Amino acid sequence: MAVLKTENLTRHFGGLVALNGVNIEFREDEILGIIGPNGAGKTTFINVIAGIYLPTRGKIFFNGEDVSDQPAHKRCRLGIGRTFQLVRPLPGLSLLENIMVGALFGKGLGKEEARKKAEELCEFLGLSDFTRDVTRMTALEIKKMEIAHALATQPKLLFLDEVMAGLNGDETMEMIDLVKKIHSRGIAIGIVEHVMRVIRELTHRVVVLEWGELIAEGPYEEVSNDPRVITAYLGEEA
Amino acid sequence: MRISKTLLYLVIFIFLLTLPLYTGVYLLNVMDIILIYMALALSWDMLLRSGQISFGMAGLFGVGGYTAVLLHLNAGLNPIVSIILGGLAAGVLAWLIGVAVLQLRGMYFAIVTLALAEIFRVIVRNLPDLTGGPEGTVLPSAIFAGNSTKTYWLTLSVALVSVITSEIFRCTRVHFALTSIRNDEIVAKSSGIDVFKYLVFIFMVTSAIQGLTGGAYAHIYGFVSPEGSFSVDFTLLPIAMALLGGMHSTWGPVVGAVLLGMVSEFLKLQIPYGHLLVYGLIIVIAILFFPQGIVGTLGKNLKRAGGA
Repeated sequence: MAVLKTENLTRHFGGLVALNGVNIEFREDEILGIIGPNGAGKTTFINVIAGIYLPTRGKIFFNGEDVSDQPAHKRCRLGIGRTFQLVRPLPGLSLLENIMVGALFGKGLGKEEARKKAEELCEFLGLSDFTRDVTRMTALEIKKMEIAHALATQPKLLFLDEVMAGLNGDETMEMIDLVKKIHSRGIAIGIVEHVMRVIRELTHRVVVLEWGELIAEGPYEEVSNDPRVITAYLGEEA
Repeated sequence: MRISKTLLYLVIFIFLLTLPLYTGVYLLNVMDIILIYMALALSWDMLLRSGQISFGMAGLFGVGGYTAVLLHLNAGLNPIVSIILGGLAAGVLAWLIGVAVLQLRGMYFAIVTLALAEIFRVIVRNLPDLTGGPEGTVLPSAIFAGNSTKTYWLTLSVALVSVITSEIFRCTRVHFALTSIRNDEIVAKSSGIDVFKYLVFIFMVTSAIQGLTGGAYAHIYGFVSPEGSFSVDFTLLPIAMALLGGMHSTWGPVVGAVLLGMVSEFLKLQIPYGHLLVYGLIIVIAILFFPQGIVGTLGKNLKRAGGA
């Protein structure tokens, strides 16, 4: 069954068409890769799904319900979680408190329950030293914290926007394992990534965007041999 | 640790409550002013925690004052009841305004609040039958017939309302919501926070406190006037106190109000009319050298010393 379905999803920014008639289905048991060259509309796609921008045209169905006009905080509470491409920790709150925000408002838990939930997620993701200031964390730790923040809202579908960017080889391996662990908790995942090794390793299916349009869809092996995809990444032969 | 802290607060509270036993009228009058400004400084800071700056404090302060005085005078309400209603009126007004203007953020919101304060003053000045017009309205007598002990308890209660509200906000989910909204609205929304609802809520609560404070002030001095009740002092001095003491905390604005309140009282005696100059210098120096405020700077150093 589709957890999320978009119909003819279109978003304009002034004269720029960032998404154009995109139809994508996320199945509830899969990890779906979203790839495409820079500026293809991957992050815009996540922002429109999460409700940061409303679609110019088209519909979004989440668990069969039309959420196209819902504001972002309601979509979060329905179960659409996301991380940010450029990490956005909240200074003024400790590591644990950052994660608690997700549980308090996304899930509507009380403060003590939210604290327990956040501690449990820290353990799950291998984060320690909860009271730390978020300005004193490594790239990997901040990425993990963002994932924990999103997981604390108990999403049914989680978007990971370039969580591997800036990580070294070992850290990337660790993150791949983490994504698998998250998926095994029964959470559908949409992953935007430029590192093809990660996409090959993790995804069941891949969709390819270029200039805001869906140009290919299918298992990684199939898509990576599609001449249109190769052209999109490497350009036309002269 | 927790018990000793509670005990400390209790001792401070009992000391403040019994202050009239050890001091004279003059000091109590100074305390009244400090406590009034403390309530305002803290209410301003509470809104600031959501990232929104208000320059409209004097407006809601004046609305509370006028509401309290007119209800007491025309409807014969008990002064205390009329003060509380003054606070409620300011809160309801802020709710209506907030729903309309809280789509704006930052400087745009600040400018609208600045205009609001002026608008209220103009309205009040042009309704002579109701408000007494430019002359204002004088009460037959001040609250508690001017009894300085009871008056002090009134201002202490108003300041306590502000302190307790601030502490409740700091210890509950409100703290998480406001901190998230201040730092990153997109993250806040994506975490399920209804940003607009929280902003309207905090604007309403802080405005109600400002109205309550204005009501108390009007009854203590026994009059309201367009220039006096909407004076820009009620906007600028509390802001200076919050900045000097330290933002985003309860104790910052409290310490700032006590210090600046005492300093301005002392300076007024030493150099009449020149005191505002020194006052301004203190604020400039504080903001240049302690942008975190006194409490923020001390807290950081204490933490560092404790951690080392």
